[in-house]
Amino acid sequence: MIKMQDKRFAKLADFGRELLTKASLEDGLPLISKYVKDVVGADRCSIFIYNAKEHRLWTTIAEGVERIEVDVQEGVVGHTIRTQEPIITNDAYAHPHFLPKIDKETGYKTHNLITAPIFDSKRIIIGVLELLNKEGGFNEEDVKFMKFFAHYISGFLELVSIYEKV
Amino acid sequence: MKKFNEIAVFGQKLMAHSNIDEVLVLIADEAKRLVGAERCSLFIVDAENALLWTKISDGLERIVVGLESGIVGDTYTKACAQIVNNPYEDERFLPHIDKKTGYVTCNIITVPIYNSKRKIMGIMQLLNKSEADFTQDDVEFLTFYANYISGSLELVMMQEEN
Repeated sequence: MIKMQDKRFAKLADFGRELLTKASLEDGLPLISKYVKDVVGADRCSIFIYNAKEHRLWTTIAEGVERIEVDVQEGVVGHTIRTQEPIITNDAYAHPHFLPKIDKETGYKTHNLITAPIFDSKRIIIGVLELLNKEGGFNEEDVKFMKFFAHYISGFLELVSIYEKV
Repeated sequence: MKKFNEIAVFGQKLMAHSNIDEVLVLIADEAKRLVGAERCSLFIVDAENALLWTKISDGLERIVVGLESGIVGDTYTKACAQIVNNPYEDERFLPHIDKKTGYVTCNIITVPIYNSKRKIMGIMQLLNKSEADFTQDDVEFLTFYANYISGSLELVMMQEEN
């Protein structure tokens, strides 16, 4: 059970209203990223979109870095897609699925991370929400919040992808 | 596409409410309008007591059915949307609810509503589409709509529990 004492939920409706004023991924994703980083207390946020046909994932937003692209067989993000479950690790370099090559490419040092799968209305996995580097490390409450949040924004993501296909 | 524009506007309105009764009414009214149906009931899953119940049901009394009863229960059990365009010939249909409410059901569509744990937390049921029978297009549209409103519904239900 998610505790409402978790005050992060209190501002969610305000966030949701603002999000729905954004009519494109380009406008909506920075808002999602900023909000989730603030409430969880993480340094970075990446939102990966999954292309099932090409078995690849890429970031639509990952601040300060170039677009990141990975194969579904690679990395914690790929593992999140394959298992359809969140991943949490407070020692990224010790995690069997962590890909140090991305840190090398971006010059950013990942200490800890958390992921949550994003599903569409047909319950098909469409992406992964990832946060990096929380001071003091991520915890089980963060996992619950990430699952809830990934579901909460999925309607928006699906709606704007319908717009953008047209 | 007009429908999807309307949904974005509706979503903003929905998130301005934190009272579960108001949220349920808004969701039901919008569903009816979007699909052109006469009635909408939102059944909430009570897994502990193996029940499905409505809070509101369009001016009707609260309806409570077993988790596996009727077309709503079948939607839960099969985790799959149902279209029934001839309810009185469908053995799953529960005519006693019509008898009790005095309403005549001509056609039915149901879709499951999932929470963030990927469990079914409710069933959306629409009755009596005015112009024609319910179609697979309605299923697809309502599946999208059910997911779209599910985050707000889950949030107000959590608030209610506390």
